[in-house]
Amino acid sequence: MSDVAMSRREWLLSERPQSRLQARLGRAYMSWQRFAANRLALIGLAIIIMLLLVAAFAPVLAPYSPVAGDLRQGLKPPGWEHWMGTDDQGRDILSRIIYGSRLTLYVVVLVAILAAPIGLLVGTVAGYAGGWIDTVLSRITDIFLAFPKLILALAFVAALGPGIENAVIAIAITSWPPYARIARAETLTVRNSDYIAAVRLMGASPARIVVRHIMPLCISSLIVRVTLDMAGIILTAAGLGFLGLGAQPPLPEWGAMIASGRRFILDQWWVAAMPGMAILIVSLGFNLLGDGLRDALDPRGAGQ
Amino acid sequence: MMMRIQTRSRVLLAGTLLSALLAAAPVALADTPPDTLVQAWAIDDMISLDPAEAFELSTGEITGNTYDMLVRLDANDTTKVIGGIADSWTVSDDGLTYTFKLKPDIKFASGNPITAEDVAWSFERAVKLNKSPAFIIQQFGLTSDNVAEKAKAADAGTFVFMVDKAYAPTFVLNCLTATVGAVVDSKLVKEHVAAVTPSDEYKFDNDFGNGWLKTNYAGSGPFKTREWKANEAVVIERNDNYYGEKAKLARVVYRHVKESATQRLMLEKGDVDVARNLQPGDFDAVSKNADLAVTAAPKSTVYYFSLNQKNEKLAKPEVREAFKYLVDYDALQDTLLKGIGEIHQNFLPKGILGARDDNPYKLDVAKAKELLAKAGLPDGFSVTMDVRSQQPVAGVAESIQATAAQAGIKIEIIPGDFKTILTKYRARQHDMAILQWGVDYWDPNSNAETFATNPNNADDSMNKTLAWRNAWDVPADLQQETKDALTERDADKRSSMYADIQQKVRDTGPFIFLWQETEIAGLRKNVQGFKLGPTFDTNFVAPVSK
Repeated sequence: MSDVAMSRREWLLSERPQSRLQARLGRAYMSWQRFAANRLALIGLAIIIMLLLVAAFAPVLAPYSPVAGDLRQGLKPPGWEHWMGTDDQGRDILSRIIYGSRLTLYVVVLVAILAAPIGLLVGTVAGYAGGWIDTVLSRITDIFLAFPKLILALAFVAALGPGIENAVIAIAITSWPPYARIARAETLTVRNSDYIAAVRLMGASPARIVVRHIMPLCISSLIVRVTLDMAGIILTAAGLGFLGLGAQPPLPEWGAMIASGRRFILDQWWVAAMPGMAILIVSLGFNLLGDGLRDALDPRGAGQ
Repeated sequence: MMMRIQTRSRVLLAGTLLSALLAAAPVALADTPPDTLVQAWAIDDMISLDPAEAFELSTGEITGNTYDMLVRLDANDTTKVIGGIADSWTVSDDGLTYTFKLKPDIKFASGNPITAEDVAWSFERAVKLNKSPAFIIQQFGLTSDNVAEKAKAADAGTFVFMVDKAYAPTFVLNCLTATVGAVVDSKLVKEHVAAVTPSDEYKFDNDFGNGWLKTNYAGSGPFKTREWKANEAVVIERNDNYYGEKAKLARVVYRHVKESATQRLMLEKGDVDVARNLQPGDFDAVSKNADLAVTAAPKSTVYYFSLNQKNEKLAKPEVREAFKYLVDYDALQDTLLKGIGEIHQNFLPKGILGARDDNPYKLDVAKAKELLAKAGLPDGFSVTMDVRSQQPVAGVAESIQATAAQAGIKIEIIPGDFKTILTKYRARQHDMAILQWGVDYWDPNSNAETFATNPNNADDSMNKTLAWRNAWDVPADLQQETKDALTERDADKRSSMYADIQQKVRDTGPFIFLWQETEIAGLRKNVQGFKLGPTFDTNFVAPVSK
């Protein structure tokens, strides 16, 4: 049987990969298969891809301007003209939700980029170095963990001033400690293993060991955790927006939209309900995706 | 056995249902007593019932109904003053001495006769106690050292009041209608005076009955206060010794209810006759209910936004004018301010002497753009606006943000609580701020002084008027006109001077006046004669019947 005749699937699942690339692709394919077997995870993935597409094509999709409204068109119920109704300033809620997806993504991505590396660095250094460095870093982590997340973020925003950038910084500052914990735990399990000892014997510096040989091992569990946290980040951002400390008007941030719709909740329910629905769906999407990823990427799971 | 338990439980169930029905029946039929008016109102601002101390909205209404002053605002035309305890008065030719003849044979609720001694003692204690509203009397040159001399009884029926400058008589009389000038029953209060140790701040050895009057009553109004339970209720009863037309109802109860939705439910069920703090949504629902009616009246608070002249862009006269064209006044009136405010583009609230009610500005983006181009800012600019995160102010600010954006002005809204914004405003560190101003006493000078005078525009000025807070160096002739209006003795001429001052401030000042607050109330249909006045002390309940 020649290579040519081999189907792509067989090539990927080959027991004896011919190259590193083939081995890696094969592993990725198996992960994908495990992931794809989970129907809910696929739904989560679909939601997130939808979110990305909506954010990318917001100007094309939105039927109206998200910031300019006509006061006299205010508080119109959902209908053909405005699919999700209008808010008190007469702005189209659908358009605002579509543009708001950009803010949500902006917050989520920035927080992930800021918080995950901090947590990873602190956790791996603490775990690998041990001794007083570990004690100091772990206690700092504990102190941050001891505060309720939203309260701490509130305090930071109050100090930095309201605004979406400051909200991102505040959320990032409050969300790195769990990542540090995970990274430290992972590091502790591998720091004394033989291959680390081998690298060390070959003369690798501690920095090289941490960055090249320990961090990669922590990344998969970190990705899972970050994805699961995305929902929490969105909710915290929405919470700050709700309290008037996140995105400032007229930005169509979902939490701020709920806050302004709260006044009409009895008589004009759609003003608060529509952005609430958006937050619900996107948070659910991230949670489902995170669950699927955990099953697929878990290094202790079957198949590895 | 089974059967018996079941039967018993069925009986129990029926009994429960029956008692539930019985309990529910009186609730469904709960009407307030026919001789009592029950009002639901947030009265948690009440800290003292002593007229020399009380300066809150709710106490204003209680004092207005339970005490009497020398002179009062005419409920039908609040630019005029009518006699209260005073029957007539004369002003000396030099404008410094006011002589009041009291109505003969009138009595306090306690039965004690009202004499000029009582009036003099009321003024003396107000000036000496020096609480928040005392400045209204003190501004006529009265101090604790000279009050006995300046406000005294010539005889039992004649009270003489001396001022330090020849003020406009309308100004003096308007100030004397304030609740701080309420006449207290000196004989009764003096029985309850408590001793205090004099200190540097308070030089007197007694409290002039302040401690007792905080929760008790010694007045002569159409009603007398029976009791006040903090954050629960105030009960006032008809005063049968009142000299004027007696109150129609025997009793008025103010129940402390904070939430608008609760007030609406209580009103719908008939637990209360009047609901005083309805939000626009609940007010709408009440006005559509066939069993209920609504009433509204403009109050003395004016909302505006101002441009700090320290910002060199905002200091350009064309920019100041441009902003006046960048508010969609009509749409605001029809939507966010519907029922709770009325577009008003002058600093004097309607109902006060000299108030203008013309509103020349309309949304005109093209005109604003033209003005910005003339100012050398054809592409607009960025600026911040401090906004209290409360409705309707926050919504109005967002609307201004949207209309200003059409002319290229990018407004960044900085939300904050009232205290933070006020601190920033008083330190002149804002760009723009949207705020409100309520009159301190019912005279045009209260607002004219703050909007149209700025004696010293330096940072360390002692006189922090609103013009100063926005670093507006008010033109000297405008300041002089405001000063002159204070001593203009002819009421009509004085009124037209204020009309002129308002126009100048509106046209050239850094203030964009937006709306005048409206007070609203929901009523049961059977409540007759309930009328809100322009101030809280003119919310008279004596003519109410049901």
